[in-house]
Amino acid sequence: MSKVFLIDVSKCNGCYNCQFACKDEHCGNDWTPYAKPQPDIGQFWMKLTEHVQGTIPKVKIHYVPHLCNHCDEPACIPVCPVEAIYKRDDGLVIIDPEKCIGCGACSDACPYDAIYRNDELGICQKCTGCAHLLDNGYKLPRCVESCPTDALRFGEKEDLLEELKGAEVRDPASGLGPNVYYKNIPGEFIAGTVYDPVEKEVIIGAKCRAVSGSKLIETVTDEFGDFWFRDLAIGKWDVMITAEGFEAKTFKDVDTEKSVNLGDIPMDRAK
Amino acid sequence: MSGKPFDVKAQKKVFKPASLMGPRSGLPMVVESGEDGTITRIRPLHYDDYTDFESKHPWKIEARGSSFEPPRKTLPGCYYTAYKKRVYSNNRVRYPLKRVDWDPKGERNPQNRGKSKYVRISWDEAAQLIADELLRVKEKYGMSAVLAEADMHGEGKHVAPSHGCMNRLLSLLGGYTVQMRNQDSWEGWGWGSKNVWGGEPVGQIKPAGNQWPDIAKNTQMLLCWAGDPESTAVGFEGYMASRLSQWLHTLGIKFVYVDPALNFSGCYLADKWIPVLPNTDAALYLAIIYTWLVEDSYDKEYVKTHAVGYDEFFDYVLGKVDGEPKTPEWASGKCGVPEWTIKALAREWARKITSVAIGNGGPGIRGPHSTEPARLQSICLGMQGLGKPGRHQAKWLEWHNYTEYPLPFQGEEKSTIAHRAEVVRPPEPSPEEEARRQENLQKLLAAGEMEAYLHQDGQLKGNYRLTKQQAEIPELAELLKTMDNAPLQEIPKCMLHDAILKDHIEWWGLYSFCGPASEQWDKHCFPAPGCSKIHMIWSDCPCLVTCWNDGFNMVKAFRSDEIECVVAQHPWLENDCYLADIILPVATMYEMEDIADEEGSGILPCVYHEYPACPPVGESRDDFDCVAAVAKKISDEVYQAYTGNETSVQKCVELFWQGSNVAHLDKDDDFHKKDIFFIPFKPGQQDVPPGIKPFADDPAANPLTTPTGLLEFTSTALKEHFPDDEERPPYPKWIEKSGSHDESLSSERAKKYPLLCMSNHGRWRFHANLDDITWMREVQTMKIRAKDGYQYESMWINPKTAKERGIEFGDIVKVYNERGTVLCGAYVTERLVPGAVYVDHGSRFDPIDAENLDRGGAINLITPHNNISQKATGMVVSGFLVQCEKVTDEEMAEWKRKYPESFARKVDEGCGACLDGWLIK
Repeated sequence: MSKVFLIDVSKCNGCYNCQFACKDEHCGNDWTPYAKPQPDIGQFWMKLTEHVQGTIPKVKIHYVPHLCNHCDEPACIPVCPVEAIYKRDDGLVIIDPEKCIGCGACSDACPYDAIYRNDELGICQKCTGCAHLLDNGYKLPRCVESCPTDALRFGEKEDLLEELKGAEVRDPASGLGPNVYYKNIPGEFIAGTVYDPVEKEVIIGAKCRAVSGSKLIETVTDEFGDFWFRDLAIGKWDVMITAEGFEAKTFKDVDTEKSVNLGDIPMDRAK
Repeated sequence: MSGKPFDVKAQKKVFKPASLMGPRSGLPMVVESGEDGTITRIRPLHYDDYTDFESKHPWKIEARGSSFEPPRKTLPGCYYTAYKKRVYSNNRVRYPLKRVDWDPKGERNPQNRGKSKYVRISWDEAAQLIADELLRVKEKYGMSAVLAEADMHGEGKHVAPSHGCMNRLLSLLGGYTVQMRNQDSWEGWGWGSKNVWGGEPVGQIKPAGNQWPDIAKNTQMLLCWAGDPESTAVGFEGYMASRLSQWLHTLGIKFVYVDPALNFSGCYLADKWIPVLPNTDAALYLAIIYTWLVEDSYDKEYVKTHAVGYDEFFDYVLGKVDGEPKTPEWASGKCGVPEWTIKALAREWARKITSVAIGNGGPGIRGPHSTEPARLQSICLGMQGLGKPGRHQAKWLEWHNYTEYPLPFQGEEKSTIAHRAEVVRPPEPSPEEEARRQENLQKLLAAGEMEAYLHQDGQLKGNYRLTKQQAEIPELAELLKTMDNAPLQEIPKCMLHDAILKDHIEWWGLYSFCGPASEQWDKHCFPAPGCSKIHMIWSDCPCLVTCWNDGFNMVKAFRSDEIECVVAQHPWLENDCYLADIILPVATMYEMEDIADEEGSGILPCVYHEYPACPPVGESRDDFDCVAAVAKKISDEVYQAYTGNETSVQKCVELFWQGSNVAHLDKDDDFHKKDIFFIPFKPGQQDVPPGIKPFADDPAANPLTTPTGLLEFTSTALKEHFPDDEERPPYPKWIEKSGSHDESLSSERAKKYPLLCMSNHGRWRFHANLDDITWMREVQTMKIRAKDGYQYESMWINPKTAKERGIEFGDIVKVYNERGTVLCGAYVTERLVPGAVYVDHGSRFDPIDAENLDRGGAINLITPHNNISQKATGMVVSGFLVQCEKVTDEEMAEWKRKYPESFARKVDEGCGACLDGWLIK
C-alpha cells in the first residue's frame, strides 16, 4: 500500500485553506504519539508558495503546496540517530515525537525542506498525513478535505493511476521515490502585444516564431494583438514577429530563466 | 497503531455557519470539540453524512459537452477554516472594560479617546454605568440624543443577533437616532445604475435567474470588471464562485479582467489583463462606446426598441456637447490603457457574445462619482443586447438575494429565519411621504423586485419584519414584535462625522438602507425637527475608522466634547472600540446556541440548529444578554418588556424553526433528529428564463422598473429632479473634478499626492473582521513583517513606482495625504499598475496619533470626506490621491520619541494589536 498526494496546480486558487486547515489540526492540538503541536506561526507542515511570472500586464500566478513527500526511501530515516522516524504500512512517514531528540539530521537530509525544527519542544516535525485521523475513521488529511477546488487529492496510488498520468514528482532524480505528485506546474513564458504605432491598432494574426537551438514554436497574435509562448524550456530564444505590410522584428537571446514580457511591440511599416 | 483507540478530540460535533453577513447565516461547517470544551477542528460539512443528496433533486448545468454539479461538501472560506483563532484570539474582549480616564461624575476626557487605556470592571458596574448614562442623557436631551450604530456585517446570529439588540431597549426608553447604513459595496450601481435599469434593491441587474447556465451555454467573453470571485464572494458564499469560474474557463470562454490590480481570480484565470488606473474606468467605457458608435458596431435595433434617451448621450460621447469626442486616444490619457488595446477591447465586446461579471466592492465602483462608471457599464451592456442569450451582468455572490437564482438553484421554499432585533429601521416618514413610498414599494413588490423586503400586513417598512407566516404564530409574533418607538431621526453612516461636528447637515436620498430609487429625490436633514444632536453613542459594529470614509475625521468627531458617553459591545477589542468609554464583551457565535439557515452557497439550502462549540470566552455574553443586563438596571418592567418574557434560547430556536417557512417540508423531522434539514430543490428551476431575457424578448410586456420601463441612457427621473446636477448628470459623463472631489492625476493636488490609492474588500478579511487571525497574517498579500518585527498591512506597489521612491519589498512605508498618514509594508509586485498603490480596507486601526498617524494600515482613515457626489449619499473609499514614501529610521525614531506610549503598547507576535496592549492591569 502506498498513499499518494496528487496536486493539480492549475486548479489551485491560492486560498490557503490547506495551509490553514493543517494549522487548525496541528497547532495547539497534541496528537502524540503521531505528532506534538505545530508552532502557531513560522512553520508550515503544509506550505503554499506563490509564484509570480512575467511583468505587467503579462503576469501569471500559480501556487505550489509543499509538504512531506512520504518517500518510498525516505532520506530522513537512515540519518536519524535515535531511529525515531518510521514508515507505516500505508506509506506515511512519521517522526515519533517522543523518541525524537531534535538533532536536525533529518531536516538537513530532506531534499524537500519539509522538516522543521521546533526549538521550543526540541524536536523535529513535519506533515503526518493526518495519520491520527485516518486511523480513526476520517477519510482524508485535513489539507485535502478543505481544498475547495479539488486541486488536492489523496488516496491509494493504485486507485489514482488514471489521474496520475502526466503528473510529476519534484526532484525525481533523488531516487527517494517521493509520493507527492504535481500536475500542470506552468513553465516560463515569453509574451507580448504587437501593434501598429501609426494607426494605433493592435495587429491581429501576426506570425510569431520562437527558436532555441533545434526547437521551433509558432503562434499568431490574438484579437488583442497578444502572443504567448508558454511552458518554454529554460534557455535563450530568438523571437521573430512578422506581419503583412510590416518589417519583421526579432528579439535575440531572450532568456527564459524567468518569464519575459516583451511589452507592447511597435511594428515598422514595410518600406 | 492502527486499530488502537485514540482520542481525536471530537466528542462533540456541532454545526456553525461560515458567514459574516450579519443577520443572515451561511453554509454549515462541522466544528468538533474535545471533552475539555475547547474547539479541536473546523471542517467542511459532507452532505452525504447527513442526507441522501440525490433525493433532494440537485441541479446540474450542461453546456458545450461538459457538466457542472454542486460538490458534496460545503466550501467554507479560508478564514472560516481558521476561525478558531478568532474565537480564542488574544484580541478578545474578555470582560467589561472602562476607559481609565472617563469619569461620568467628573472629567470625561473625550480628547483622550483612542489614546487612553482601559481598566477591568464588573458586569454589574458596566451595566449600571450604561443605564445611568442612558437615563441621564434622556433627561437632559431626550432619547434622540442617543445614536444606535447597529448595522451589518458581523456574525450571522438570530436569537441573539450581533446587530440591533440595543435598539429594542432604546425603543422602550423612548426611541433613538439610527445610523443609516449607506449603500456600501455597490455604491455606483445603487446611486447610478438604478437610474438606467432599475435593478432594485441594489441596482445590479434583476431578475438574475439562471444567468450562469446561460453564460455557460452562450457567452464567448466574460469581462471581469469590478469584483473578484476569489475575494468579494468568499465571505458570504464560500468557494462556489471559484469552482464555477474554473469550469466556465474550461469551456473556452475568454476571461478578460479590467482592474488596476491583477486580482486573485485574474492572476490564474485571466486570458487578458487590462490594467487601468484606479477610478478611471468611466473614460474607458466612454471610449468603448465611442468606438461602437463610429464603427457602427452595436445592437442598434435593440437600442431603438429597448432604450430611451440615447441620442443626447451619444451626442455627448461623440463630442457634440462639449467639443471633446471621447475617443480611445482621449481615454488613454485618462486611464492609462494604450489606445490600441482600448479599440481591441471595444471590438471584441462588439464581436463576441459578452457578459460582465461583477462582485461587490470592486475597485471600479467605490470611487469619487462612482455612479458614472456603473451607469456606463449598464449602458455598454444595453448597447450589446442585454438579456439576449449569453449577454448579462452576472454576479459572483449574493445568490441568496434573488427570487430566481443565478445558479439553477432554489429551495422548494425560501427559508426565513427571524432576527430578534431591528437593524437599520428608518424613522417614521410623514403621511405624504409614506403614501408615496407605499405606492412605489407595492409596485416593486408586484414586479417581484422587492423580495428582500419582508412585510407585515402588506406594509413595507424595511428589513427584518415579520413574514406573514411568522405573524401567524402568536408566540413568535410577540417575541419579534416591533417596538413602538421607531427611530426618531437618522444620520447617514457616511456623514456621521459631519452630524457630530457641524450644527446641521442635509442630504438627498438614503432614507432607508437599500431603499428604492424613488427615495433618491427626497431631501433630509439632521437634527430632525424637534430632535437633539448626538450626545451618546452605542455601537455593536465598531468599525467606522477602518471601513468608512475619512476615518481620522471620525476620530475627531468621537473626541468632541458633545459626545459624553460611547459604549461599544463587541467580541474583539478593535477599531472604534478604542474610542469607547465602556466596552461590553460579546460571545462569538461559536459560544452560543442558535438557529441558522443557508441558501447562498449554491449547493443545497438548509436550516440547522447550532449548539455551543465551546463555553463563552472570559466573561463574554451574547449580544441579547449584554443589553438585557443594562435593561435590568433600568427597571424590572423594562427588562421584562425587552426580553418579551422569554429568555430560553431553546424555546426561541423552536419558534424560529416553526416560523422558518420550511418546517412543513421536513416530513422526517430531520431538524429535530439530525439538527439539520436540507431543503429540496424545486423542480423545473432550470426552465426559468435567464436574466432579463423576457425584457429583451418583449420590453413592453416585461418592463424594467425604471419610470419608462426601458433602459434609460438618459435618466428621466434625474432629468426631472436634478436636471442641472453636474456631478450626477442625467446621462453619465467623465468627471475629472467637481465641487465634491478633486482626486484626479490632473489635479493641482497631484503635485503633492501623485499616486492613486485603490482599495478593495480584502481577500484575507471580511470588511473589518478577521484581521487578527495569526495564521492568515502570515500570508504576504495580507501582512508583511518588517525589520522592526511589526506586521504591517501590505501595500501593493509596482516595481517601477517603488523604485522611483527607493522602496524595496518589505520596507515600512507611509501612505499619506492632507487627511493623515497610514503606515504599511511594501509588497512590491507586478500585479499593480504603476502610478498607484493598493491597500485593502479593514485592517485594524493601531493609532500612534489617533487623529493623524496609524500603524495598523487602516487605509480608510485617509479616504475622502465627501459623498459620492452632492446628491448621491454614499462613501468614497477608493481611487483617491496619496503620496507614498519609505519611512526612514530617523523618522521612525522621531515618532517613537514623540509618541512613546503608543509604541509601548504590547503587540502580539501572532495577532498584532491585542487586549493586553490596551489594558491597565
